[in-house]
Amino acid sequence: MSLLTIKNLHASVEGKEILRGIDLRVGRGEVHAIMGPNGAGKSTLGAVLTGRPGYEVTEGTVSFDGRDLLAMTPEERSWAGLFLSFQYPVEIPGVSITNFMKAAVNARRKAQGLEEMKAGDFLKLMKQKMAFVQMKGEFAKREVNVGFSGGEKKRNEIFQMAMLDPTLSILDETDSGLDVDALKIVAAGVNALRTPEKSVLIITHYQKLLEYIVPDVVHVLKEGRIVRTGGKELAEQIWREGFEGIV
Amino acid sequence: MSRVFIVGSSELPQRVSVGRDEVLDWVFVVLPGVSASIPLVIDIDGPGAEVRLAGLYLCGSDEQVVFDIEVRHNVGDSHSSQFFNGIAGGHSRAAFHGRILVRPDAQRIKAFQENHNLLLSETARVETTPQLEIYADDVECSHGATTGFLNLDEQFYMRSRGIPEAEAKVLQMISFLSPVLARIADPAEQERLRAEVEAAVRAL
Repeated sequence: MSLLTIKNLHASVEGKEILRGIDLRVGRGEVHAIMGPNGAGKSTLGAVLTGRPGYEVTEGTVSFDGRDLLAMTPEERSWAGLFLSFQYPVEIPGVSITNFMKAAVNARRKAQGLEEMKAGDFLKLMKQKMAFVQMKGEFAKREVNVGFSGGEKKRNEIFQMAMLDPTLSILDETDSGLDVDALKIVAAGVNALRTPEKSVLIITHYQKLLEYIVPDVVHVLKEGRIVRTGGKELAEQIWREGFEGIV
Repeated sequence: MSRVFIVGSSELPQRVSVGRDEVLDWVFVVLPGVSASIPLVIDIDGPGAEVRLAGLYLCGSDEQVVFDIEVRHNVGDSHSSQFFNGIAGGHSRAAFHGRILVRPDAQRIKAFQENHNLLLSETARVETTPQLEIYADDVECSHGATTGFLNLDEQFYMRSRGIPEAEAKVLQMISFLSPVLARIADPAEQERLRAEVEAAVRAL
């Protein structure tokens, strides 16, 4: 059974149809890339899968780990093992990374019927995952994304991904605004989290990130539909010929 | 002189004169269930004086809270600041009227005022009226006022990390009030009030 099965997914924003019949299956342990020109619906797909308010599903089904994803709240989707690395991570003034992650980790434990994590264990986990994306100790005390550089914001997303240990990670334009060094840190982080059970969906405009996180399957999204599917060589072909050349 | 006034249980001053080199550092806390009118006139009568006023109000049902504050810089070389954040839900009414007066010969003044408000319902009302009356030239003065709802992008970001909607709202409200609580000088008192405010926010 696939981890994620999307069937004939249609979705609208403010009455305008953006996704017009998406079919996609992501198996366990697989890395899929979704590429496409601006306005193709790439980010909308990430938003719909994570339940962002304002995105209305008008047709189709999504099953995640055998469950009806579309019937779940955003927080329930997170508890079920879904994670979205935001294209534009949100600043939350007044909330420290530590308090933010503590609330997130303990909410999931509560949903699973577990007790809150012991303070010492939590700090140990924080330290370990911070090292993983090369964040210094003071990072834990900073307000979530406030005053962060573009690279720091994206590393913070991958840090949160490592903390929450999701089954399916969706990376929405994680490479945008990153210099090569930050890109390498982010990619190494994602690669280190890969296991035979965990899957990744990379949403990207460019093939740059795909040189570092090599996909098993590449899809091309255009005008709200998947118009081509192939192996990693499809990304290289897009790089050479452009989206116009291949669809 | 640092003091915290719990409106509804502390006796509130209405008029005070601040003399040479004196520091007045007052924090007002209005918890849910308390309706009050808080008129306060502060005369700064000595150079080197510094007045720091801060406050938070938390109205969840049908409270009516009115701050009416006037800070008068009667002499030069003095500083004042006002920093008030409030949350209004239900059918409550909150008002913040803050006036800064700088007399003609009161030079080298710094005076600041900020008032930020969060509305939790369509039926709550907030009124904020900053007033500056400045008759001297050498004055650094500013004020800012905002009123808005809880930010939905922040909420979705937190929920996507597994923080339930209700808890996300609590975190937002606590972070909104936190800068006022940070003004409480005594660490033990600050800790105690943080816990009390958090409990009040959770019960809203």
